[in-house]
Amino acid sequence: MDKLKSTLQSLVQPLLAVLVGLLVGAIAILIVGGDILETYREMWKGAFGSFYFLTNTLARATPIILVGLGVALAFRAGFFNMGSEGQMVLGALSAALTALYIPGPGWVKIIAAFAAAVVVAGLWSALAGWLDSKFGMNLLITTLLLNYIATLFAGYMVAYPFKDRSGSAALSQTEMIDASVMLPKLFQGMTVHVGFIIAIVATLALHFFINSTTKGYEIRMLGGNPLFASYGGVSRGKLMVMSMFISGAFAGLAGVSEVLGTQYRFLDGSLTSANYAWSGIMATLLANSNPIGTAIASLLLAALQTGGMGVERNTDVPLEISSIIQAVLILFISAKFTISFIKRKKAGAKDGSAV
Amino acid sequence: MLLEMDSITKSYGLVRANQNVNFNLRKGEVHALIGENGAGKTTLMRILYGMESPTSGQIKIDGKPVTFHDPTDAIKHKIGMVHQHFMLFPAFSIAENIVIGGEPKKGIVFDRKQAIEQTIALSEQYGMPVDPKKKVADCSLGMQQRVEILKVLYQGAETIILDEPTGVLTPLEVKELLASIKALTAKGKSFIIISHKLSEIMEVSDRITVLRDGVVTGTVNASETNEEQLSRMMVGRELIKLERSEAKIGKPVLELKDVTIVGNKTKPLLEDVQFNVHEGEIVGVAGISGNGQSELLQAISGLMPIDRGTIALQEKNITGASVKMIRESGLAHIPEDRYLWGVSKEATVSDNGIMGHLSRTSKRGMLDGKAIRTLVSGWVERFGIKTGSLHTKAQYLSGGNLQKLIVAREIAQQTPFLIAAEPTRGVDVGAMEIIHGELLKRRDEGAAILLVSSELTEIMKLSDRILVMYEGKVVGELDAATATEEQISLLMAGGKAVGQA
Repeated sequence: MDKLKSTLQSLVQPLLAVLVGLLVGAIAILIVGGDILETYREMWKGAFGSFYFLTNTLARATPIILVGLGVALAFRAGFFNMGSEGQMVLGALSAALTALYIPGPGWVKIIAAFAAAVVVAGLWSALAGWLDSKFGMNLLITTLLLNYIATLFAGYMVAYPFKDRSGSAALSQTEMIDASVMLPKLFQGMTVHVGFIIAIVATLALHFFINSTTKGYEIRMLGGNPLFASYGGVSRGKLMVMSMFISGAFAGLAGVSEVLGTQYRFLDGSLTSANYAWSGIMATLLANSNPIGTAIASLLLAALQTGGMGVERNTDVPLEISSIIQAVLILFISAKFTISFIKRKKAGAKDGSAV
Repeated sequence: MLLEMDSITKSYGLVRANQNVNFNLRKGEVHALIGENGAGKTTLMRILYGMESPTSGQIKIDGKPVTFHDPTDAIKHKIGMVHQHFMLFPAFSIAENIVIGGEPKKGIVFDRKQAIEQTIALSEQYGMPVDPKKKVADCSLGMQQRVEILKVLYQGAETIILDEPTGVLTPLEVKELLASIKALTAKGKSFIIISHKLSEIMEVSDRITVLRDGVVTGTVNASETNEEQLSRMMVGRELIKLERSEAKIGKPVLELKDVTIVGNKTKPLLEDVQFNVHEGEIVGVAGISGNGQSELLQAISGLMPIDRGTIALQEKNITGASVKMIRESGLAHIPEDRYLWGVSKEATVSDNGIMGHLSRTSKRGMLDGKAIRTLVSGWVERFGIKTGSLHTKAQYLSGGNLQKLIVAREIAQQTPFLIAAEPTRGVDVGAMEIIHGELLKRRDEGAAILLVSSELTEIMKLSDRILVMYEGKVVGELDAATATEEQISLLMAGGKAVGQA
């Protein structure tokens, strides 16, 4: 009963945020001279209007969910992993290269590509965790900066050594992977692929991991009060490296599922320009790092984005309307953070020293 | 009658914090308000100070009915309040803190010189010396409290409410405070004191009103009552006398040798600390807080590295070992600051309860929900922890109930060695009785217990042996049976040991 109640309560705020977001969006539509109802109808249609659009939204949600889950785990342990983008890109690059250059049957290549993506992205993320626990380098800063190294490195790799020279296009990309390595689509002719199933399974697995295992318990306690965790014998350093590894591994999963399920190659900039990583982080913040909530919020953000495309196709209101709504969501999230920060400060003054 | 509160009732939803409470105050009197946690003392005083409005009832001053909308109204009627947690600006000087809200001005500019003069005049008038230019951050807690009282006097208060005034003070500072209160009443000021320290209340008050569950259980003259009667009125039943059996001292469990932590101040945080704790004894560590007790506990439990010396637990060298290893070697630890170290406030009661009990409450890496429920609900029952359910977040438990949860968790470890740091801080009489009983029980079962407390009475009541710490050193070791409070106080203040060593 209590659990159900608290789950419902945790939904109130994100829903409120979305509502206000739509309200502000309505004002923006009014300003550019659009019809509010018409625009939102098109947005709904663009996201869920037909089976094709629905599956399109699910496909877009797939990497967002996976990134979001990774960020959620790190947040639960109390770490701001801002490096999902770089982790995802490195994961995607290693998946593409593995799929291209490992010999063997398709299924071996698929497993190898997944393993490579998870390990590389995980290690890249764990590196930041290790730097923090060993040398006290601020995780938020290192993960942010490691993004640049990762994306630029990946760009170089596909611009020079592994550039696809077969086609006439001058794009920085790898060659296309073999058809036997491509993840099957869930429905004929639709974009959504097996990666979405993986994302759903990952959501449930993470939910179980955080709530029902001893390691998950230690992660929750570490995130809740690091001093309490250390007092109880939880080793912060080890747990930090481990949770950062898992966090990065999720971003790697996002990368590999995009490469094997949608793009069939690594194309420089395709993952970053779609803003999957930042949408994932936003979904996590909206859902307060609850895995299932993160998946739902990811779907919502994906719908907002695909819906925005629908709006642009069919009305005079530009695509940016979605960005405005998202911006309001971000405002709400930061307001929530500020409030809980103030609350914590107040509580601290209450329990702590007298001064 | 200077002040009357007639049949005050305050409801929060269905909860009645105060019910038909009658309370009055005569000029020049000290009237104490006592009761367990949650009895409604603070609510009543918040109503009097205009921070809450009563659901029904009437406040009268000099026989005239008044209504307070906020503390400013109360201050206008010469009522002042010193809160349990001081409300001072640490970065400002004492004078600046005292005149705040009624600053002397030269034109539109703050007149610092006059503020200092007024502060000096005020402190001389009431015989409470302060250094007006000193920054509050550099003042002891006792001095800060003096500043708070002067601030209230500066605002012109005739009635002063003190909420748990002695909680953070050293024994010496408590004496000074009680003396100041007596001096101020002689000058015609009146006091209302909220407290649960009966001995201090008995010493300073004229009348005592006892609250239980929001209802007044009686108002008595201090000269006609005693601590036993007051406890009964507070708790609603007879308190059990603690039975202390003869200590059966066994082999040493904890051995400290030359433990030193240099730190980055001019004086080391811990200097050559050396003592043992044996099976079946409680060793009390007395001292003014900030004299190395925290560092000592953190060093023993592995939370702070030491620079020199060795620590052995159960004949095993645990110097520099991880917290986990030390705990596995036989340490349980009731931490001194429950919110800082003892719990995760956002986590549930059961999550907080199983810290350190994972081996018993999990199978192959999975949490065992049933084992957890059995374990934690057992404690809830045995210690009478008031909580909505096991899934209630720790932050919604009162301080006393949270402390009971922590004590239960650590005692249930059944380790040969137990650290009990401030085990009853902020806890009411009933809970204190339970916790003390459990600690003595562990001792009789043969556990070695290191008790650190800023409450001398607690140290004297529970310990078999008493160590006194001063500036990071153990400056005295006394036999609890013969030690006197004066002896210990003197050592705590840095004086030399008399007689014993």
